[in-house]
Order: sequence, then structure tokens, then C-alpha cells
Amino acid sequence: MIKRHLLIACLLAIGLVFTASNAKTADAGVLGNGSAITDTLQIGEITSLGDRQVTIKTAFEKTSKTYKLDLLAECYVMTAKRADFKKFTELKKGDLIAAYGWHKDGKWNARRIDILDRDDYLVKRLAADAKAGAFYKHER
Amino acid sequence: MKRVLTFSLAAFLGALMIVVPAEAKKTVLTDFDKRDWMVIAPQDSDAPLRDYAILYDAGGVDGALGVIGIPSMRTYRHIKCGVDLHNFPFSGSNAGNNNGTPDGKYLYVSDKGSDTIAEVNLQTGWAERVFALPKPFGIHHSAALAPNGKYLFATGELTGKMLKLRLSDGATTVLDIPPAPSAPDYPDTSKDGKYVFSGNYYHSAVMVFSQDPFKLIKEIPVGKNPHGTNVSPTNRIVSTCDKLSATLSIIDVEKLKVHKVIPVGAGPLHNQFDTLGKYDYISCFVSDSTSKVDMQRFQLVDEFPVHYRPGHNAIAPDNAYYSSQNKFSTGLFTPTGIVFAVNFELQDLDETSATYGKSVKLIPVDGEPHEGRMIFASYIQRWNTGKGEDLFSKGYDLGDVHISFDDGPGLNSKQRPQLEPVHTANSSRVWIPRDDSKPGITQDGDVKVIHIKGFSYGYVPRFIHVNQGDKVRMILTNIDKAAGLTKNPDVTMGIAVAGYYGQRTMLIGVRGMSAQGEFVADKAGEFEFYCQHFCGPLHLEMRGTFFVDPKGGEKASLGVGDYDDMSMQADHLAASEHEFIVGTNKLMNTLNEGKEPTI
Repeated sequence: MIKRHLLIACLLAIGLVFTASNAKTADAGVLGNGSAITDTLQIGEITSLGDRQVTIKTAFEKTSKTYKLDLLAECYVMTAKRADFKKFTELKKGDLIAAYGWHKDGKWNARRIDILDRDDYLVKRLAADAKAGAFYKHER
Repeated sequence: MKRVLTFSLAAFLGALMIVVPAEAKKTVLTDFDKRDWMVIAPQDSDAPLRDYAILYDAGGVDGALGVIGIPSMRTYRHIKCGVDLHNFPFSGSNAGNNNGTPDGKYLYVSDKGSDTIAEVNLQTGWAERVFALPKPFGIHHSAALAPNGKYLFATGELTGKMLKLRLSDGATTVLDIPPAPSAPDYPDTSKDGKYVFSGNYYHSAVMVFSQDPFKLIKEIPVGKNPHGTNVSPTNRIVSTCDKLSATLSIIDVEKLKVHKVIPVGAGPLHNQFDTLGKYDYISCFVSDSTSKVDMQRFQLVDEFPVHYRPGHNAIAPDNAYYSSQNKFSTGLFTPTGIVFAVNFELQDLDETSATYGKSVKLIPVDGEPHEGRMIFASYIQRWNTGKGEDLFSKGYDLGDVHISFDDGPGLNSKQRPQLEPVHTANSSRVWIPRDDSKPGITQDGDVKVIHIKGFSYGYVPRFIHVNQGDKVRMILTNIDKAAGLTKNPDVTMGIAVAGYYGQRTMLIGVRGMSAQGEFVADKAGEFEFYCQHFCGPLHLEMRGTFFVDPKGGEKASLGVGDYDDMSMQADHLAASEHEFIVGTNKLMNTLNEGKEPTI
């Protein structure tokens, strides 16, 4: 009898834990959890360059993530200040970039690449906030 | 020998004196100089100063786009587009913030007065095509571009409709948005091609549509009377200005529900994200301020005073400046006539600058400007240096990306039209002594005289019936009081009958006298009329209906009228320019829904 009660209690507990974990997953969402592949803006440092393809390590987040970005044919590259248009080959490893585009069919398609100026006030602000524990894309 | 040496030394020193001052004239830019428009790098042109960005503003009742340099705030020119301009995106893609990812080719500006959208070629600086929308539609804002740049989404504020338009040929799909009253207002598109968001001030909700197939998905209740609605560059949130709740509603795009509500100041109207989605800047009409909201913390972090009564706003493409587009200027400028100048105020957003948060420029602006968006000046090519033919036929490069006028969605033609749509033709307007007769309709010979009173925020009478073929004399009297609850100045009231009669009405009602217009009501239908001169927070809600009942005894309605005829926009352009009108009712609901990918 006791064994049966224990068994039922165990099953209920397992069910409860399972439900709670599922509920947490369903409620998690993108907001507050750092960057996601579905974001249409990614900010990060270029770690490698391919044929109109860049790999970035995201910046100003709690935990950096790595994304491979494919440049669409119409994707241009420019400096975020004053829009000096650049050729793709002028991108360098270590450049801090903002990439605008969208995720589709397993690819992150870049429509525009901005080369950010590390001395820009907004970039400095994101860096200072991250240092203070207020991370980018960890909305509160 | 000595003499030779002395001569050589003198010659060398002389040359040095010539060379050194010449060298000293070269400007070496420091980091501080880069943000200061008075210090410029040596350049190959003879222009003493060039702006790094351009603010285009839809000039409202001017019927023209303003072209203003940033940061000098000098007005370069006006581009004629229509009757009452409200809102536009740049062509290219909606990727990024409100300024999008332009390709430098076009912008598409909504014309509330004529119920059309004008396509303006940014490279030539002229209107090239007019999209004649299926009547009755009643466009207000048309700001929403699909990510692939091939479709526009527009709101039919005056009829409770939404529209998807293919830019290549003007084909459309139109949706009805019940229940009435329904006023789809300021739209924006999600950056991933999934959704269109639009406030609906009568429903106090943000409506969500799928982009393809174009259909209503749900309404998300937000604060009272939402207006400016924008998607963040990250596509994670939508922020909407709850005009009468003094709040900003933050909608989670993934869950399609309100995530947070942030108090921002009285009368929030429009918002602008910076390019990284860090801050959102809100124009607060009643509190005369720009509110700055941190979108990571979801907190109001700063507030800058403006001069005053801000409506629309714009942010520089490098986030350095913000333009507050203020609706009133009382006491600021020299009087120039019946219509006072409004003003644009440039504010410094650079947190490391000594003038951060301060207004650094304030200029008078004519018309009643609406949406402003900025673009880097480097997108606009130099057409006057002998390269015009190449630019026409071959296009131009943005880095290693080639931009051509042959790859759509505009005219694939070697001809580049210079359209000048009619602004206020075919009408007679005069100012007369103040008309204190009772509101309503009287008969004067064969003329129907409509005595209409305008006030904050409404009209008496609100519903007007005339018969097709009637000669109509419309007399608008502004019975508003100055210095009301919201300390507004002496407000100008207007009346414009949207659509076919838009360019025939556009009466301007200043206090102390009346405005009178005459026209023949030759087309039957139901037409919303509205106030085209900004008068306060509920200016948009200041509306009424003008019915022209058709011959034969039938009553005009949204289903009964000469809508197909009016959709041809015959009076909007000269007959020789009609080939540049696209769309019209003939192409209504011609999109191949479900097979029109938006990315």
C-alpha cells in the first residue's frame, strides 16, 4: 500500500517537474535571453571571412554566440559613420560590424553590413553597459 | 660663391614660406571635428560646405517634400508630389531602423488629400509615378516596405481598410478591417517578412497582419488611441505610442502580446529607434519633450525639452542627431501670413558631446510637415558633372553592389519623368469676414452653401449631403478658443475632403475670419473630410463625412459612387502625364496571394 502511494507520488512529482520545465520552455521566448538566430540585427566581431560570407562572434552579450552570415547579392558594406561604401574585400577580421538581414531556409541573409566605429558613443554605451552587467539583447 | 649660396638660401627660404602656409591651410580632422559640421576635410568640389545627411520630410499641406541638410538644417529644395503628404519609406529594404536600408533610388510618399502614393526618384529629385489607389481607400500612412523592397503596406484610415501594393505595377489587395469605426493608422513591417503592425486608434489596439498571404491575424489591446508604431531593428519588439495614455506599449514580436508598458510623458505620438535598437526616442506632444527610452532596460532614461508641440520625428543615420518636427512655433518667428511657420529642432544625441540633449539648431519650416526620414548624402550621386547619361543608363555603385534603374521596382525606362502633380487646382478659395450663421446647409440661388464650424476636435455638421452636380460653396469657420487646456496657440483649423475633392477643398480656417471654397460636386460617393492643419492630440480624430448622392435617388455610400472613374486620377496630373499613373481599381485584388514572398 505504502509502496503504491510512493510510486504514485513519484509519478506525480516527475509529471510536475516535466510540466514545469515545459511551461518554462514555452514561456522563455527571445526577449531577455541574448541574441537569437531569428534576430534581424546582429552585432559582433568578424572572426573569419569567406566568399561573401562572414562569421561573427556577437558582442556586448552575456555569452557570445557565433553566427555565419551570407551576404545577399544586393547587400552592401559601409561605415556606420558617414556611409563610406566599401568593397566586401575591405572587411577585416576583428572589425566590429552591425549586420541587418533575416534568417531564412537555414541561412542568415545579410542585407546591409555597417562597420561600426568603436569610438562611437552608442558603441561605447553598449560596451559600458555590458561591463556593468546590463547586456545587449538581455532586455529586462 | 658666397653670393650664390646666399641667393640659394634666400630662394629656399622663400619657397619654404610659400609652401609652409599652403601646407598649413590643409585641415586635419580630429575625432572631435568629425561630428562638427563647421570643420570639413579638404574636398574636390568647390562647395564650401556639404551636409553628410539629408532629411526628407513629407510636407503635409504643402503637397511637397522638403529636402533639408543635416546637420546644417538648410532647406535645399521642395519636390512637388501631391495634395497632403504624410509618410514614406525609402526604396531598398526595411532592414534597420525607420530609415531602413536605402538603395538611393526612390521614396514612396502617401498623399492623404488625393488618396494616392507618389514615387519620387531621389537621384533626379522629381516625382516619377503616381500610384492611384483603389477608391474608396482613404490612405493616411504608407510607411511600411517589405524587406525585399517589392511591396508596400498602406493604411486606409478614413475607410477602415488595409492595402498591400506591388510596386512594379501597382497591383493591390485590399482588406476591410471591421468593426466600424475602424481607423488603421501608422503601420510598420516586421523585418523578417512575417508581419505588418498598425495602430487602430478607434480600437485602441495594434493590429497584426501576415505579409503573405495578406490577412489579419489578431488585434493586441494597447493603451488609449495608439499612433506611431515601429518595429525595432532587431525585430524583437514593436513599440507603439499610446497617445491618450501617456505610455509606450512594448509588444513582444515572438509572442504577439504586450510585454511591458512604459510611462513616457504626455501625448506620445511617434517613436524612432536608433540603428542598434538601444534607444527609442518618443515625441511627446503635450509635455513638449523628446523622451529617451532604454530598450534594454525598458526604462525612460532622459527627456529633452523642445519648442514645441512635437509631432513627427527623425533620427540621423549615424544616430548623432534627432530632428523634432514641431507643430507650433508661436512667438518664435516673424509672422509671414495666415499660416504660421512650424519648426524643426535639431537635438544632439551624442552622449559624449558637450551639447548632448540640447537643441543645436531650430529652423522655420513651411507646410505642415509629417514623417521625416534621413539618408546619408553619399547615396545621392552627382548628376551635374557630365555623368548624367551614365547614371541613367548604367546606374551607380554602392561599394561593390551595383544599383540600376533597370531592375525595378520603378520605371524600367530610359525616360525619367519630371511630374508635377496638381496641388490645389480646379477650385476657388477666398477668405471672407467671419461667418457667424448657424451651422448647416442653405441655398443661395443654384448654390448649396455649407456653413461648417471647426473646433478642437470636431466639426458641426459632421455629416453633409449634397446631390451630384450641385454647385457647392463650403464655408469653414474656426470657432476654437486660443490657449485651451493644452496651452495651444491660436490653432489653425482646416478642412480637406479626401480623395477626388482633396485638391478642390484644402480650406484653411484661422480665427477671426472664414475660409470659403467653391466647386462642383460632379462625382458621386462617400468621402471623409478631415482637418489637414495639425491642431492638437486628437487632430486625427477630427473627421466628418461628405456624401454626394448620385443622380437617380440612390444614396451615396462606400459601395455607391463613381469610384472607378475617380480612381483614374484624371485631374491629378496633366493629360500628357497620365501614362505615369499606375494602379487604379482595375487592378484591385490582383496580387497572387500566398505566392508573393516578402523576403
